[in-house]
Order: sequence, then structure tokens, then C-alpha cells
Amino acid sequence: MSDEPEDDELEYELRQLAARQDPVPPELVQAAAEALSWRNIDAELAELVFDSLLNTDEATLVRSSPGRRLVSFQTPELTIDVEVTTTASGRDVMGQITPPQRATVEIRHRAGVVSADADEQGSFRSASLQTGPMSLRVRPAAGDPRLPIVTDWLSI
Amino acid sequence: MADEDPGWLVTAAAGGDQAAWHALVERFSGLIWAITRSYRLSRADAADVSQTTWLRLAEHIDKIENADRVGAWLATATRRECLQNIRAKARTVPVEDMTWFDADRDDDPTEAEVLRAESEREEADRARLLWQAVGRLPTRCRQLIRILMAEPPPHYAEVAAALDLPVGSIGPTRARCLQRLRRELGECI
Repeated sequence: MSDEPEDDELEYELRQLAARQDPVPPELVQAAAEALSWRNIDAELAELVFDSLLNTDEATLVRSSPGRRLVSFQTPELTIDVEVTTTASGRDVMGQITPPQRATVEIRHRAGVVSADADEQGSFRSASLQTGPMSLRVRPAAGDPRLPIVTDWLSI
Repeated sequence: MADEDPGWLVTAAAGGDQAAWHALVERFSGLIWAITRSYRLSRADAADVSQTTWLRLAEHIDKIENADRVGAWLATATRRECLQNIRAKARTVPVEDMTWFDADRDDDPTEAEVLRAESEREEADRARLLWQAVGRLPTRCRQLIRILMAEPPPHYAEVAAALDLPVGSIGPTRARCLQRLRRELGECI
């Protein structure tokens, strides 16, 4: 049986303790406030449908490791497979768009945006990215009327 | 504005209302931080997880079913990012980095200063004992209590989402864990 007032008092004391000793860093709140500006209203969202970090079947364990992460994003029309490799200087990214097509690929991350255009095989790559949140913005080649695509944010 | 119904804030933010978004950030930053710390993420990793979660919310802001339950949505997203972070590290994360305030006393304190120093030291001792006792709890209790310590206090639905537990179990588990904590402290206050 719980003695309610004692529980509430102890919980209150604990909350005060956390507020003094381990408060939310102000820079976290500031960064979060700016997150809305990253939103792409006129883009289609490609959801994360596979992440080797969450998948524990044997085939995945063979192909990936904590230093080599495989993720897949999908829209009804295309798939973007990305391999994220951990190196001494950060994260390297290698991607593949299926069906294969040229596209302008922008890698959005904390420090800004990096271009990594996809060739006619749909392949793109970029190296030495910072760790932290990452999302891809894929714009079809000029003249293509389709909407750009943004992938779900990932923490690499 | 932080007192507004979260569902209304989500709808407004989806319409581009930056003030509504700020209110959401104010309302739930404490919860996200508490969850990352409950999973023993370092400050740097907690910052990454927090930012990724908010960026995901921004992208999904107009797609959330049950906008009034955005707290639980954020808690679930945070939990998943924490687990991915832990798996990516594939090693034990150090215990939360906390520094304890340890006042230097003046050479010639007045009596008032001595009394204040005494009570400050008692408070610091009590705080240290309390925090260490929390750290000695079984993992599930420690996590639950750390999340409950969020400001503003989380709803049980949010705690449940953060720990992937049934919401009906949170109340009884809280009572059990606080009782356990009192035993760890060696007291029945």
C-alpha cells in the first residue's frame, strides 16, 4: 500500500534535487526551439523502415556492426538505402536511391547542409560528417515535377 | 502558453506558430532530458537524442494521431533514440556525470555564516545521500524515478511510453520504488 503524502513529498524532494543537480541544459532548449525551422512543408517524408541497430536477425548481424550501420527510408515511389560508417573523423555516408536516378542530395545536420549529388545509378556519398541528427533531402533532377523528399531524422 | 492543451499547441505549431512550438519545447524538454538521463546517456549523447527527437517532431507535426498525446509520442521517440544510441556505443556508459557543490569556508566565519554553512552542508549531504540511494536502486526503479523527476511532472502515460510499460502499472510501481528508496536511505520518513 502506498502512503500517498509521503510518496508525494519524497517525489517533490527528488524533483527539486534533479532541478538543482542535473537540470536541462539551456542550449538543449534553444536548439529544440530552432528545430521547427528545419521542417520541410513542401516535401514528402520518407519514413525509416529499417535500421540495423534495431534489427537482430542473423543476416543483419553478419552484414552490419555498431561501426557500420545500415538504414533504409521509403516512400511509395522510391527507397533510399544508407550505410553509415564510423571513422576517426566522424561519420561517412554512402547512399543508394532505388529505382536508380540522378538527384540532388542534401545532407542536413547540426552544422548545416552538405551536398552529395546522386549519379545516374542513384549512388551518393559524403565523408567526415559530424555525429548528431541527420536527415537527407532528395530533390529530383531539374524538370522533374515531383516533390522533394526528406528522410526521417536519425542520430548518427 | 505552456499551460495550453498540448493538442492545441501541436495544431498551432503545424500551422507555423513559432510561439506554440516554443511552448511545446518548454513543456516537454524536461521530460526528454529526464528520459535520456534515466538511460544513463552522457550529456553529449543526450543532446543528440534530444535534438533528433525534436527535429522528428517538427517533420511529423502535421501527421500525429492524437495530438493531445504528443507527450507520449515524444517519450516513445526519445526511448527509441536512447536504445539506438546505447546499441551504437555497444559499451557501458559511465554513470551520470554530476559534480557536487563543495563550498570552501571563509577563514573567519561569523556565527550566522557558520550556521548557514552547517545547513548548506546538511543539505548537500542529504542531496548526495538521496542521489546515491537512487543510483543503487534496481534499474527499472532508478529509471522510473529519474523520469518522474522531470519538470514539469510527467503524466503516467508519458512515463509508460518512456519505459515501454503498461500505463496501469506506473502508479503501483512508483509506490513500490519510492518505498524501496526509503529503505535504501535507511529511514521511514
